[in-house]
Amino acid sequence: MDLDAARQLFPLVTVEGLRGLERIRQHPSAPRFTHLIGDHVRAEDLHAVDAFRGALASAPPQPRGGPPPPVLEWVSRMRARVPRWRALIPEGSALERDWARLPTLRREDVAAHVEELVPEDEPLERLIVYETSGTTGHALRVPHHPLAVALTHALAERALAWHGLEVLQGPGAVACMNLRAQASVWVYPSLFSVWRGAGFARLNLVPHAWPDGLAAARRFVEALAPGFLSGDPISLAELLRLEVPARPAALFSTAVALAAPLGAALSARFGCPVIDWYSTTETGPVACTRPGGEGMALLAPDLYVEILDQEGLPVPEGARGEIAVTGGRNPYLPLLRYRTGDFARLLWAPREGGTLEPRLVDLEGRAAVVFRAEDGSPVSPVDVGRALRHRFAVVQHAFEQRADGSCLAVLRPAGGVPLDPAQVEAELRALFGPLARIEVRTDPDLGAGEKVVPYRSAFPAASG
Amino acid sequence: MIAAPVVEHLTRRLAECPAEFLLEPRSAGTPGGQVDVEAVVADLLADLGLPGRLPAKAVGSWARAPAADRNLLRVTLVAAWLCHDPWLRSERRFGLPVLRWLAGGLRPLAGLVTAELFVTDADRREELARALLDALGVTPGGESRAQAADRLRALSSVERALVLRDTRAQAERARKLREQMASERAAQAAARYSSE
Repeated sequence: MDLDAARQLFPLVTVEGLRGLERIRQHPSAPRFTHLIGDHVRAEDLHAVDAFRGALASAPPQPRGGPPPPVLEWVSRMRARVPRWRALIPEGSALERDWARLPTLRREDVAAHVEELVPEDEPLERLIVYETSGTTGHALRVPHHPLAVALTHALAERALAWHGLEVLQGPGAVACMNLRAQASVWVYPSLFSVWRGAGFARLNLVPHAWPDGLAAARRFVEALAPGFLSGDPISLAELLRLEVPARPAALFSTAVALAAPLGAALSARFGCPVIDWYSTTETGPVACTRPGGEGMALLAPDLYVEILDQEGLPVPEGARGEIAVTGGRNPYLPLLRYRTGDFARLLWAPREGGTLEPRLVDLEGRAAVVFRAEDGSPVSPVDVGRALRHRFAVVQHAFEQRADGSCLAVLRPAGGVPLDPAQVEAELRALFGPLARIEVRTDPDLGAGEKVVPYRSAFPAASG
Repeated sequence: MIAAPVVEHLTRRLAECPAEFLLEPRSAGTPGGQVDVEAVVADLLADLGLPGRLPAKAVGSWARAPAADRNLLRVTLVAAWLCHDPWLRSERRFGLPVLRWLAGGLRPLAGLVTAELFVTDADRREELARALLDALGVTPGGESRAQAADRLRALSSVERALVLRDTRAQAERARKLREQMASERAAQAAARYSSE
């Protein structure tokens, strides 16, 4: 690939950076890369990232007792730009006084009204899209911005700094690898201009993603020596099981809850901290574990975090409720009391020096679930969700695997669209094996009146 | 002083607009037309108490009008018929405001509504009648100033068009957003160091 072609994906790439990218792409043990994904970061974005780093260093922690004035001013400004907010917040509302009564938004609003949630004067040229894993029951396409992604790098730096660590930067270095263990996922190399052209690779720890099976994965990770690794607990458990000889400075456990025994096993095996990372596509990183306190410390001063009851009213400090977030750095999806679907308590705990630090404690809602195929290999809920939704018009689903390995899929078909259970069964058999016992039922009332648990498994989730 | 007429008085007059006022106007853009708009306006102004020559600025403006202004000229003729109402003539004080209205106030309406509708359609008749009284600074008989303003706003073709244009702009924006979100380039997204 020449420099001009590379700059379509990495506008700031240098000759040295490109050499580093080719080293990843052409490595003799490289996986079967399905894509080459850019960072689309421009020079002005780097200035914004620097400014954000400065803000992270100087911003006070989120105060108790309602949103601070900058958040209120931001909401007021965004109301003028976001049609849906204008429809929901009456003209002349006193935001500080009425905050608890302001409407909340949730995934379903993004799914149904995304056009009304994007600020109407925001230029669309740089819009990108992420599809969320949908492990909570609904897949979602989220408009996003390369700058918003670039800014999250400063949050990883912050989390590492809490452990006295730094990101491995510069052309030729591999800053990070992101691990998956799914039947089907994009596998790609990349570069991060924010980290001075350091490399990155998304890997899939399943045999068919490698020309030479998983032995190649071991060689590849060992040779490229990524600075840190990220992955959901299931992928990290595979990292352990496959005895990949990695030497990361840290592991980021993402996407779903990390079981403490797995965290301990990973930390012992790789001799590094395991950072439990709470981030969603809609909100970006929210919180992560930090030494010297329970739960997770809030990461970003541009996100106002509150805990709500069912009615959308803030619960008393320390009480359990749904995590809702206001603010954010995605110019295409500003968040107003956005309900994440995850549950936790929010406490203010003292740190040394006497400052109070807000912490999310007992985070729940994205429980790790793993299914097992006939041959014992893990099957990710993401793959099950995809199998159910990509070919079939399914509104809701509840998928359960019992201790004997048999599976039951209960599906709520979209109204008026025929659904052939035998075809669904065939799709699932492709994941679980030709002889897997799979039963598919339809239930037009699934989810009416009660919260559906989309995935349940009798198998322990990545206990290490 | 005679009290201002009720709106119905003026709408009735519009409904009775003679067919001659809907004949083809004559101008540089429509040389085959039959009605000399400037002459009609000059006669009207004289009857309203503003005799003599038209102000220099107004002279020739109707005669020079391009073809694109045909509806504006036709609306001007209908409006001139309306302004020839006995009450306005009897007041002898509306010459200048009427001239200002005819020369500058009708263009937004004429861009949206054909001249015939100001004669045949009840709402448009009422809109034109109220627009005239508003331009003259007169509150219709039997109404408060606020009631009159509300009613005019409710009828206003111009305001409705602005709302429609906003709606259209929103629909266009939504279409662009959907297109962009569906594009291959957007789907490639950007590399992320973690899975969410």
